[in-house]
Amino acid sequence: MLRLLLLVPTTTYRTQDFVEAARGLDVDMVVASERPNVLSERLPDNLLTLDFADPEKAARAVAALARIKPFNAVVPVDDRTTVVAAAIAAALGLPGNSVAAVAATRNKHRMREALSKAGVPSPPYLLFTLADDPARAARQAPYPSVLKPTLLAASRGVIRADNEREFVAAWRRIEAILKTDEVAALGAGADQILVEGFIPGREVALEGLLVKGVLRVLALFDKPDPLDGPFFEETIYVTPSRLPADTETAIADVTAWAARALGLSDGPIHAELRVNEGGPWVIEIAARSIGGLCSRTLRFGTGLTLEELILRHALGIEIESLERAPGPTGVMMIPIPRGGILEEVRGLPAAKAVPGIEEITITIHPGQEVVPLPEGSRYLGFIFARGVTPEVVEVALREAHRRLDFGIAPRERA
Amino acid sequence: MATELKERVQALLNNSINPAVAGHGGYIELIDVKDDTVYIQMSGGCQGCGAADVTLKAGIERMIREEIPEVKDILDVTDHAAGRNPYYSPSKG
Repeated sequence: MLRLLLLVPTTTYRTQDFVEAARGLDVDMVVASERPNVLSERLPDNLLTLDFADPEKAARAVAALARIKPFNAVVPVDDRTTVVAAAIAAALGLPGNSVAAVAATRNKHRMREALSKAGVPSPPYLLFTLADDPARAARQAPYPSVLKPTLLAASRGVIRADNEREFVAAWRRIEAILKTDEVAALGAGADQILVEGFIPGREVALEGLLVKGVLRVLALFDKPDPLDGPFFEETIYVTPSRLPADTETAIADVTAWAARALGLSDGPIHAELRVNEGGPWVIEIAARSIGGLCSRTLRFGTGLTLEELILRHALGIEIESLERAPGPTGVMMIPIPRGGILEEVRGLPAAKAVPGIEEITITIHPGQEVVPLPEGSRYLGFIFARGVTPEVVEVALREAHRRLDFGIAPRERA
Repeated sequence: MATELKERVQALLNNSINPAVAGHGGYIELIDVKDDTVYIQMSGGCQGCGAADVTLKAGIERMIREEIPEVKDILDVTDHAAGRNPYYSPSKG
């Protein structure tokens, strides 16, 4: 029986979809997290605890286990475990991306350096640290500019500034995020702020699989809500894209170029690009699949989920087809309108009744704190839709969202 | 048959599984056993927990199957969305 090691952070959105996919395969599933599972002591061979912050240490620990029972594949389920997965794969002699390539995708500055060096269309950039004088940095920045922490993901701490005053205000806000214990614990680079030139245009997300260095496009998502700042909250993804075919080809070509520039050659990638009259520009590329619960919009061949496809690829199990199952689909990551304590969600039945809506999943529980961007790192939930055209999908998502009402009490009252 | 299976699953929950999940304020209740299918419900820290699927599918299921091979399926009937105090909550990282 094939043996699979899944690297699952305790707070990832991706647990259910990957664990379910693994369970559907005839494999011996081993799950590793950064904190002990409650049943780890009962199942020490199958529920591991690894130090995700120290990839070499984690790799040594897994290599010791593999000498007794070898692994056939190691799969990271999200951004937080891509580097440690690469280190483990290298230690076990399994195929995969190099640690250096994956590490570059986890640091926005190193990514920019690699893309710029290769000539991949991407924003101009400057790197600062919190030790720098923000007023002086503001005088050097291009405008409009986008300030972002080099180590955080999913638009967290990403702020647009149109002038020096806004730049310094954005810097101070990011500084507060970077000084939280949670972010400071990320170590080297946690005090860095990358300043990029703002690239206008429509944003898209490309979901792909690298097979022996060749990019296979799994899905291209339009993001119909303008992402012009000051914060960059992702909301609606709809596939297939409504862009012209030649533009889609150009997006795929530039994404493949970016992957090569970073040295990525194997496994899933998720890329975000802007498209304007100058063509596609790479905003980010990650060595992982789409985040949140968004993969639930996708099926391949006769019904394979994205996670099943990724696991099959990693384990060398035949994949019938990489073609996305037909039919426009979409997802809305429900934005957090204001901070506070979530008391209740009203309107769910009415929202679910909107034609085309397949499911609505609320992922924050009543009584929990909700924090909007740029400080927050969670969504209220996800709305999934299917329709005869991408336009119909988008309309359904917006209407379902309109029917939802989130009771959020101020923190001090709750 | 079902009664005997139920007793064995309940004993496993009582003796091995629940003492462990109690460490995170959780509790696993045996709802029913029908034919070779076990129905369980998670509460406390397990209800809505971001790691509940790992605990269930890589932990509880494996323990039940290893101890009681006659069990074929374990179904979770928990309303995880209604969890008030999940031990881990998902985030974008």
